[in-house]
Amino acid sequence: MSGESVISVKNLKTYFYSENRCNKAVNGVSFEIERGRTLCVVGESGCGKSVTASSIMQLLPKLSRIEEGEIVYHSETQGDIVLSKLKKNGKEMRSLRGKDIAMIFQDPMTALNPVYKVGWQIMENILQHEDVTKEEARKRTLDLLIQMGIPEPEKRIDQYPHEYSGGMRQRAVIAMAMSCNPKVLLADEPTTALDVTIQAQIFELMESLKKEHNTAILLITHDMGVVSEMADDVIVMYMGNVIESGTAREVLKNPVHPYTRALLASIPILGKGKEQQIEPIRGMTPNPHNRPKGCQFEPRCDFSCDTCRESMPGEEILEGTHMVRCHCWREVPRE
Amino acid sequence: MTFGEKRFHKKLDKIRRLEEEGVLAKKKKGSRALSKFMSNKMAMLGLVIFTIIFLACIFAPLLTSYRPEVVDLTNLMKPPSKDHIFGTDKVGRDLFARVLYGGRVSILVAGGGALGGALIGVLVGSFAGYRGGWLDKITMRLSEVFMSFPQLILVLVMVTIMGQSTRNIIIIFVITGWSGIYRQARAAMLSIREEEYVQALHAFGLNDMLICFKHMLPNALSPIIVNITINIAAFILEEASLSFLGLGVPMEVATWGNILNASQDMYTLQNAWWIWLPVGVVISLFVMSINFVGDGVRDTTDSSIQG
Amino acid sequence: MAKYIGKRILMFIPMALLMSFLIFGGMELTPGDFVSNMISPDMAANMTPDELNVLREAYGLNDPFLIRYVKWLGQIFQGNWGYSLSSGVPVKDIILQRLPVTLELALTGLVISAILGSVLGIVSALKRGSLLDHTLTLAGVIGMSIPQFFFGMVAILLFALNWKIFPVGGRTTPDMVHWWEHLRYLVLPALVLGVTQTASVMRYSRASMMDSMHKDFVKAARSKGLPEWRVNLVHGFRVSMTPVVVLLALRLPMLVSSSVVIENVFQWPGIGVTFKEAVSAGNYPLVMMIALIIVIMVLIISLVLDILTRVLDPRVRLE
Repeated sequence: MSGESVISVKNLKTYFYSENRCNKAVNGVSFEIERGRTLCVVGESGCGKSVTASSIMQLLPKLSRIEEGEIVYHSETQGDIVLSKLKKNGKEMRSLRGKDIAMIFQDPMTALNPVYKVGWQIMENILQHEDVTKEEARKRTLDLLIQMGIPEPEKRIDQYPHEYSGGMRQRAVIAMAMSCNPKVLLADEPTTALDVTIQAQIFELMESLKKEHNTAILLITHDMGVVSEMADDVIVMYMGNVIESGTAREVLKNPVHPYTRALLASIPILGKGKEQQIEPIRGMTPNPHNRPKGCQFEPRCDFSCDTCRESMPGEEILEGTHMVRCHCWREVPRE
Repeated sequence: MTFGEKRFHKKLDKIRRLEEEGVLAKKKKGSRALSKFMSNKMAMLGLVIFTIIFLACIFAPLLTSYRPEVVDLTNLMKPPSKDHIFGTDKVGRDLFARVLYGGRVSILVAGGGALGGALIGVLVGSFAGYRGGWLDKITMRLSEVFMSFPQLILVLVMVTIMGQSTRNIIIIFVITGWSGIYRQARAAMLSIREEEYVQALHAFGLNDMLICFKHMLPNALSPIIVNITINIAAFILEEASLSFLGLGVPMEVATWGNILNASQDMYTLQNAWWIWLPVGVVISLFVMSINFVGDGVRDTTDSSIQG
Repeated sequence: MAKYIGKRILMFIPMALLMSFLIFGGMELTPGDFVSNMISPDMAANMTPDELNVLREAYGLNDPFLIRYVKWLGQIFQGNWGYSLSSGVPVKDIILQRLPVTLELALTGLVISAILGSVLGIVSALKRGSLLDHTLTLAGVIGMSIPQFFFGMVAILLFALNWKIFPVGGRTTPDMVHWWEHLRYLVLPALVLGVTQTASVMRYSRASMMDSMHKDFVKAARSKGLPEWRVNLVHGFRVSMTPVVVLLALRLPMLVSSSVVIENVFQWPGIGVTFKEAVSAGNYPLVMMIALIIVIMVLIISLVLDILTRVLDPRVRLE
């Protein structure tokens, strides 16, 4: 990673406290999001990737809190702002939300309020952050809808979410997120709920927005195919930790951590035919309330040793920006 | 930091400490639902209050030597004392005995009405929901009629037709109370009917009645139990209201409502608190305990309500 | 929308007919017959048995049940609702005189419980897990557990007898000069009625609010940087309002039941007092007609509320 970072996350720990238990959902995560680049966060569900995004936006549920670490937003105009120190719904945090940092949600079906018109919901964001009249906001909303490729925008702007198709709703959600030209876009599995063809269109849209506005994108996904399409940089998370990170080239061409390798081996590659071997990862993710003592991946790992059972491995730089957290990565056979 | 925030962080700190010490991981043995219910303080308190009042009413003869209907003209409107711990009413009847024996009738009427209604509701509802067709259509319409009738109006109309007696009031409660449970049982059946294990049972060639009542009904039971408790609580209150209007169980029979009814005049209200306050509190406590238990059962079984 | 309203009204008619049929059936089970119920007692007293028999024949009392039902229905539509057995006054006059008095009390109570209940429910949901939330939840259960008339009696004892802030009961005094003087009489019964209904409205609006606050669109609203009040009210509450209105519609029968009790506690001279007196006196025509009118009213109001929920929720509006 070389560019200019816009968000730095250092040793972030976010814990959840539902049902009188403590779940260390994010347990010491560090990474940088850089301007004009896409950072993909990969991992199975429950690995803490969505929580990380919510932590940046300070949109965590009630029974949870950031325990340690800091999240810094490097603003071009206001200097460094430590997001994790701001009041959750205070004025400073709110002035950044939707303006400098915007979020796209996983399910476009539920991310739009069913009782308001789509155009109104997009305008709401513009009016919140910019000193414009309603007419101007409406004009800009219309432009956004056109930009997002929504057909008949004059009609669509006054329709309710349920009158939109799934793909169109996600476009509307993206329009909402992009309405104030944010510096950072957090996209939490934006295409999981959509058809494959629509998926491709949405990604294309995000890609072009990134190029036009130099927006930094944090893209959360569990789909390795998406990663290879979209990512400039990659971090792989497992049970609340980053276990491998680096540029897309470094991680995808030369995966080191057994988990990353297993993830890559578990997806079929188009064109290889049906003879290819697809290996599912054995075992299941551990119960978050009953974690292994040492390396979190140890119970499912084929290369674990005694050290793995005892302690969580530290961060180790292989070359350039390629980082891995594994005691035994040297023992893992290369292809 | 505000007081609320401090309290919030303190609570989280405690959970975190316990979690890190491994205390929380060791718990959770035995039945999950049961332990969740047991840990619900309000539900347990409700269960205790309910049991105490219920047992006290059942074993009334052991707790008091007075009879509820015996008039003692030498002891009129006496405040609570050693001899009469709840005092006496306008004709010298011991109020403690009246509350206990009255509880028997009130609980019998409300419980009988709720359970009878539940029996009919479950039988008709599950079968109608399972079979569908004309039976379903007719019973559904009928339940709609019963639901849109204000309960008290319906009860009073039936009192007009049938006349006042303890037995009639129970029958009236059964007739007016079945529709809620019917709808619940029916809805549960409709959703379970589509599940695969039921299709599988059909494929095995099991008979309809067996599938319906043995394999499907148990899965719909817990919301029905909650509804029965709600009905018991409602009927206790309704019996009291009916007696208050002088249209419930005949006045000669001691019930909670009838005891309260005797204290409607302003003089009693102002000068003889012991006639209306204890029985009013007992009714409220009893109904409250049922509500707590009902809430507890619902919270343990319904995973959607958490937090 | 117009199509839906039309459909909904078409559904209302068979329901109302079914109700009237059941009530007519109930009336058949009571002593007395069509003639003694439907003609004025004064007239009946001046008639010979032979004349009465002629009348019975004329009304077709030997007709089958269904025919008699249809004829009865016809009478009702023509405005002959029968006569009170005790006073000989036409039932229609009694009902038309008493109904507005009841509506005044019931609607005030409804407004109090709707406002108080939804506000407390929302606050409780937003402060979930706080001391305030626990207190309100507990108060709600207690409120649902106290018999309404007991609550009313205690209110009379405290506010009317001991502190003498409000009158004990009734609705008017003969020497009243201004119409608003009677508001003093309305306060206590309306408050008791409203507060006893509040608990369940509060429970429901809390649950509904919690439900919508967990939805993604609330998080999305927050992600726009909207202030909390806007997130809670414009996004959260607006969506949870529909189920609360539905609940109010469902609870309408309960409100009617309660006002019968409360009217009797406070001697509020509405239809509830009349109804109670009619039941205890065995005044069958009055009992049945009041029941019929109340049921029809409940049906009409729930029809209106049903349409209102359509207006509130665009998802079903365009069905």
